[in-house]
This record gives sequence, structure tokens and C-alpha cells, in this order.
Amino acid sequence: MPEADPFLRVEHLSHSFGGFKAVDDCTFEITRGTISALIGPNGAGKSTAVGLIAGALKVQAGRVYFDGHDVTRLPAYKMARRGLLRTYQVSREFPLLTVMENLLVPPPNQRGESLLNALFRPSVGRRQDAALASRAVDVLETYGLLPLRDEYAGNLSGGEKRLLELARAEMASPKFMLLDEPMAGINPALIARLDGHIRRLRDQSGITFLLVEHNLDVVERICDQVVVMALGRTLAEGSMAELRQNPEVVRAYLGGGLDERAVG
Amino acid sequence: MDLILPYLATLAIFFFVYNILTWGLNIQFGYAGVLDFTFITFVACGAYFSGVFALGPGQKSTGFEWILGLSWPFPIALVMGALAAGLLGIVIGLIAINRLRSDYMAIVTLATGTVIYGLVSNYTPLFDGFDGLAGLQTPFTQWLNINYNQFTYLWVGFCAVVMVICWFIAQRILNSPLGRTMRAIREDQEAAEAFGKDSVRVRLIAMSMGAVLAGVGGALLMGFIGAFNPAGWTSGETFVVWAALIVGGRGNNWGGVVGSFVVAVLVNEATRYIPPIPGNATLIPTVRNMLIGASLIAVLWLRPEGIIPEARRRFYQLPLLPGRRTPAEGVGSAGS
Ligand SMILES: Nc1ncnc2c1ncn2[C@@H]1O[C@H](COP(=O)(O)OP(=O)(O)OP(=O)(O)O)[C@@H](O)[C@H]1O
Ligand SMILES: [Mg+2]
Repeated sequence: MPEADPFLRVEHLSHSFGGFKAVDDCTFEITRGTISALIGPNGAGKSTAVGLIAGALKVQAGRVYFDGHDVTRLPAYKMARRGLLRTYQVSREFPLLTVMENLLVPPPNQRGESLLNALFRPSVGRRQDAALASRAVDVLETYGLLPLRDEYAGNLSGGEKRLLELARAEMASPKFMLLDEPMAGINPALIARLDGHIRRLRDQSGITFLLVEHNLDVVERICDQVVVMALGRTLAEGSMAELRQNPEVVRAYLGGGLDERAVG
Repeated sequence: MDLILPYLATLAIFFFVYNILTWGLNIQFGYAGVLDFTFITFVACGAYFSGVFALGPGQKSTGFEWILGLSWPFPIALVMGALAAGLLGIVIGLIAINRLRSDYMAIVTLATGTVIYGLVSNYTPLFDGFDGLAGLQTPFTQWLNINYNQFTYLWVGFCAVVMVICWFIAQRILNSPLGRTMRAIREDQEAAEAFGKDSVRVRLIAMSMGAVLAGVGGALLMGFIGAFNPAGWTSGETFVVWAALIVGGRGNNWGGVVGSFVVAVLVNEATRYIPPIPGNATLIPTVRNMLIGASLIAVLWLRPEGIIPEARRRFYQLPLLPGRRTPAEGVGSAGS
């Protein structure tokens, strides 16, 4: 393994809702250029940790370092501008925007978003939109969503929304994708396609990934590194094979079913 | 003929002004999802400030007192009124718009508006309190040497020109990437933030641009009526603009035109024929508000997205780079 270059480091992160500690002293590191997974039982605090890292929730204790900077207090939109893109466990498309428009929102630094350009130089926005739309057509084609480009995003099926989520994320050209259960509720054929896209993005665009994932086959197939959380705490880090040997992890999460496979 | 034409002209003026107002609220709510429940405060701000810029100095001794009193030409006073409203939009927006909680917007705008209402109507040195501004010469009449009827027709034309400018402002914002971002924030503020959109900044822009249009509308009313006081901007008037926007259809400006036609023209026209009943001085405004409420309920039941729903932006409307192939239309639905 090359010298570790931590792109994301989380130190002693804690967060409680009311008196309930959802995340409790959570610490881990994600190496640049890897695809990593964050796994753990339901209610372990994975989504809360994602929200804390992405700036959607206020950090109560602990620190978050991203790309060499302390970003603990940054709000979500500033994290996004630094190249961290997060998705939600439940798809959060813009329902009354078309699929195409959903793809045109994410790209950063749009000059047409300035009020003066909108009012006095509409051609600036139009020209930039032309370039973005051309790129969006390619992206939609890649994800097989092109025929749905004019559909309201709110009308898509659950699986199509998952594809849209990743297509939108790609349009944002991030450096780091923090995906909360990107494969939840979709069929195996589509899962294979989605993990293909994730690998392609890592290989072609050098994007680092951290996925929250319950599907351990997927984790096994595409992840280089796995972080296990339970009861708000990081339990262990390592490869899937290492974690299978870890009795604590097996007891907390992997359970019986995987013991059989480890034997078999 | 002598009676009909000036009456139609007056209807046209109110129609044009209400168009501007519904477009303003549309920018705030229809585009950006800002629940502005004190929209009429911005209208009042435009009316008052255009008034004190255009009026002569108020004198405490005569019982009229107000700030400024600069006797500026009305078109410049109108611009000042619009700017004042835009600034107030930013101030109220800063109080009401929050990155984490968007459910407070309605109540905070309403509360802020109530405070301002109390202040303006009780603190006379500002805009003469409950008596309000009065005595503004109808603009252009002296200069052009025209009578009041002629002024009314002139004002129809002036309002039409101003309305066209406002239409371009509203449409340009809607059709720009800024408008798209506003709509994305309206749909899901948190998700838009996750894409790097500063939702507070964008909503402040929407708030203040909507307030600018409100201020323009208020200034046009001030110029037409020549007077303005707190009876003209009770919180019920905010409801009228909201009703026009919801009835007509939010998210597109033609909806605002239809809505303001229904509310400002049809309903007013219908209530005109109610005979005055002695002892029931408030009958007509009451019936008017009932009709507006009824049309709102009817639309919400039968056609919740409004008479003219927000247009779907189809792909062929988006300009592609020259030479870029356009995928064939109607490919069918996506495969798995
Ligand atoms: N907004 C909230 N208010 C109160 N409690 C919350 C809130 N969000 C999460 N929790 C609680 O915090 C704990 C951790 O939730 P979280 O969503 O982070 O779990 P998770 O690991 O993502 O679980 P899953 O795998 O089911 O998605 C849960 O017990 C949950 O009930
Ligand atoms: Mg979760």
C-alpha cells in the first residue's frame, strides 16, 4: 500500500439529538483515490456522521479535516464548493425540475447565477448552459436516462432516481463523493451498473468515494477499505477480509450469515 | 362614453399594477419558495418613499409632516421607492431567511411586517402616521397641461411601459441559471446547499427583487391616487396578492397575469354593482374579500397548481452547442 494520504479525517466526532448520542467519539481516515465503505447496523449513526462531515449538521464535538484543512465548522454549501459532494439515503431530486434541469443545477461557478448577468447579460448564462447541457446529454446517455430528460424528476421510479442522484453528482465534478446508501432499494442488475459507474468515476476522474452501504457483496467487490460503526463509534477499519476475522465486528454487525461464508 | 372610458382606464391601471405585484411575489415565492407574508409592506415602502421623494416638504405647523419632501420628478421618485423597497426586502430577508429552518419564514415576515405597520402608523414624523401622505400632484399634468381624465389615460400608458420593464426583469430572472437555482432551492433547500448553492444569498436576491417590483407597484399607486395611508396596506392586502398568484398559477408569469385579472379586474367589476346599503359601509370590500377567498378555495380544490401551471422546460428549448447532435425525440422510456 502506498504512503497513506488522508483526504478525509474524522477525529472524535460526537453528536447527540436531545440526550441521545447518535455519534459518539467516531474516528477514521479515508485515503485519497480509494473507494471506501462505512458499514454498521441500523441506527449506528452512519447517516448522522455523513451529515456532520458534509456540514448539514452542526458538529458538537470533534474535528473534521478535508483535503488538508480543518472544515469542522463549514456549512454544507461551502463543503460542496471545496469538492465534497454528498447524497442522501432517501433520494433528494428536485421534483418539479425536469431530469435535464436537475443536471444543470449542480455544476459549480455558473456565471449565469449572478443577478447582473441574469438581468443584463442573459447570453452569458445561455452560452454556459449550452456547454453544460451538452455535457449533461453525455452524462444522461451514460446512465441510460436520456429518454427521460424532459420528465419531471419527481415522476421517476425509485431506481431511476438513484441513477439521477449519481448523474447529478457527476455533473458537480467533485473530488470526493460521500454517498449514503446509493444502492438502497434497487435491483441487482442496476446495482451492477451503479458500482460500475462508481469505479469508472474513481478511475477516470480520480474521485475518492465513501459509501454507506448495507450490501456487503457490493462492499466486497468495489471497496478498498471499510470502516465499521456501531452505537455511534468506529469499531474497526480494514479490508473486508480482515474485518471478517474480527470477532467484535462479526458480533456487532456481520452476524451468523457471514460466518458461514467465511467458513465456506 | 364619458364615464365608461375613465372607468376602464382605472381598471387597466389596477390590472397593470397587480400584474407587477403578482410577478414580484412570484419571484419570492413562485421561484424561490420564500413565504413572504408581508408582501404589502414592500408595496407600502415603495408608495411612501416615492411619495416623500416627489412631494414637497411636510410642515408640522400645517398638520402634515413627513421625511425628505424633495419635490423630485416622479419617475426618479419611483426608482427611489423601488430601491427603498428592495433594501427593506434585504433587511426583512436577513431576519426571516435561515439556512437551517425554512418553516419560520411565514411567521417571521408576518411579525416583522406588523412591527413596521405599528411603527409607521404611529410615528408621525416618518409618513404622517395614520393620516399618511396626501396632496401629491398628479405627475406630468402641470408639465403637459392636461386635465384629470387625460392624466388617467396617460397613467395607463405610463403603467404599461413600467409593467413591460418589470415583465422583462421577472422573465429574465426566471429563464436564467439564477432562476433555475431559485427553483431548485424552492424544491429542496438542503439538497441545493449540498450542491454548493448558498440558499440564503439566492433567497435574499429573490426577496429583494420581488420587493423592488412591489415597490414599483406601490409607487404607481401613489402617483395615481396622490395619497397613501395605513388603511391601504393592512395585512389583508397581502392576502389579495397571494390569492392572485395562487389562482393564476405560480412559477410562471402568465399565471400572475391571469390571477391579477381575476382578482383586480373581475372581482372588482363584479362588486361594483352592489348597491350601497345604509349602515353597511364595509359591505363592498367584505364581499370582494369573500369572492377572492372563494376563488382561491375553488382553485385549490379543482386545480391546485393554478389556472396556468408552471411550464415544463423541455430539452429542445435548451440551446446546445453548435454542431452538437440533438438526440432524436421520443426515444421511449428508459430501459433498466
Ligand atoms: N434528527 C434526529 N433526531 C433524533 N434522533 C435522530 C435524528 N437523526 C437520527 N437520529 C437517531 O440517531 C441514531 C443514528 O441514526 P442514523 O440515521 O445516523 O443511523 P444509520 O447508521 O444511518 O442507520 P441506517 O443504517 O438505518 O440508515 C438513530 O437511533 C436515530 O434514531
Ligand atoms: Mg442511514
